Amino acid sequence: MTDIMELFTDTISGVRAFINHASGRQSWAAEKKTSWPEGGGRNIVLKEDLGLELGSPQKESLSCLLWTHDLASIENGRITLMGPDFTESMGESLPFGKVVLAGVEGFTQDNAYDLHKDLDFLRYSIDLKGFMMRSVSQYMREWCRISSTAIRDGFSARTLGSALINLFLEKPFVKAVEVLYLTSSPEDVIRLREITSPAEKIIAAMNKMASEMDFECESCDYQEVCDDASQLKAMRDRLMKKSQEACVD
Amino acid sequence: MTETRIVAMCGKGGVGKTSISALMVKNLSESNGRRILAIDADPAVGLATSLGISVRKTVDDIRKDLIKKIQTGDAPGSRQTLELLDYEVFNALEERDGYALLAIGRPEDEGCFCKVNNLLKDIIRDLAGKFDIVLIDGEAGIEQINRRVMKTVDHLVLVSDTSAKGIGVANTIALVASDKKAVDFKHMGLVLNRVRNEEEALNISTRTKLEIYGWLCDDEAIRDFDFRGAPLTSMPENSPNLSTVLDILKKMDLMA
Repeated sequence: MTDIMELFTDTISGVRAFINHASGRQSWAAEKKTSWPEGGGRNIVLKEDLGLELGSPQKESLSCLLWTHDLASIENGRITLMGPDFTESMGESLPFGKVVLAGVEGFTQDNAYDLHKDLDFLRYSIDLKGFMMRSVSQYMREWCRISSTAIRDGFSARTLGSALINLFLEKPFVKAVEVLYLTSSPEDVIRLREITSPAEKIIAAMNKMASEMDFECESCDYQEVCDDASQLKAMRDRLMKKSQEACVD
Repeated sequence: MTETRIVAMCGKGGVGKTSISALMVKNLSESNGRRILAIDADPAVGLATSLGISVRKTVDDIRKDLIKKIQTGDAPGSRQTLELLDYEVFNALEERDGYALLAIGRPEDEGCFCKVNNLLKDIIRDLAGKFDIVLIDGEAGIEQINRRVMKTVDHLVLVSDTSAKGIGVANTIALVASDKKAVDFKHMGLVLNRVRNEEEALNISTRTKLEIYGWLCDDEAIRDFDFRGAPLTSMPENSPNLSTVLDILKKMDLMA
């Protein structure tokens, strides 16, 4: 049987090569405990409070979550930044790229989609004072705002990355997490998008399967994606079987 | 942290709700440190015009885009729909010094998309909860405040001119609102507009049981601003009606 965990193997390798060949990158180990104060669930950063904007609708933006069972391919707790750190960018509006690499256990064709969504939606649980995020996973975009007070107080890529990594590691099936942030240039975000594009198509196909339960492959926009990824076909077969069983019941 | 205070403006068409709303926004936006959200629930986006804002996108535009996707079979799943709408609504905010404005747009039409409408209401309510004061400038009745924006407000402000018809509509809205089924509110009061003098204001107070929050005189300057399409936010600071609106806000405990 094909392994669902190999869906993103090539993309992860591509992202790894991208990181390794990047010049001027910075890297930190995540703080074990996030020391930044919580936002109290009322996080909104308006222009008048704005210190830094990342991936706004007018800028390039990419947000991608990739997972694998190959824990050795993930440098647990590592935060890498390509481009200027948030603390050095007061008053800027920068392009933004974010890739989360998660080393996980226990993903199967039955639960992979649900666990993926579980991880993907963790970003909404980040509650840091002076930080606001809006995203559209359909377009893999993420739009962040950081207040001027937060920037002055030292809110950095490490602050944000640590909070995200700690949230991921609270999940029992997550064994390792690594985050890449990119603020260098729109061209770099576009290059990264090219690398993550196969994963984007796979995730879109999974979303379609799960939301529509439409198994008419001939009329599906993602037929080619499924044809290229046999794991998706197996996932679709399982979903179709479950759907038919539900109809019989 | 303070709780969000929500103000909804209602009253017969043409009595000056939108001008008073704009003057309220101007006063509130100058009280530093508080986040003010103005919601223009008038299909003609009159509040945006009075604030000098050209609206890029309304909530209704967002709704229509999504419905188009649903109709062409290109709709995202429900969680993705929620985050897409959340993203788009924030992107539709017009942010200015001291306040932000969200325009609702034209009322729903062509078919029932209750789920989309309810999602949008949830998102607006969630967004509003992140501000300190929310001011909703609506159409005449209170039903559309509930239907299109939110059901629970702190202050229901009825606006009327001195005409019997205007006062009659305000009294009727108050009566309809009294069972709190359409809109749940904590306080309700009347603001009179285009009043000639105090005597006239006193005289009108005998024709209503509503608490009168204050009255604005017939202001040539406002008429002139309206005529020229100039934003009321640029009204001179010594305008008598601007300070009257400030007093009204103080009476409503929205300004110190």
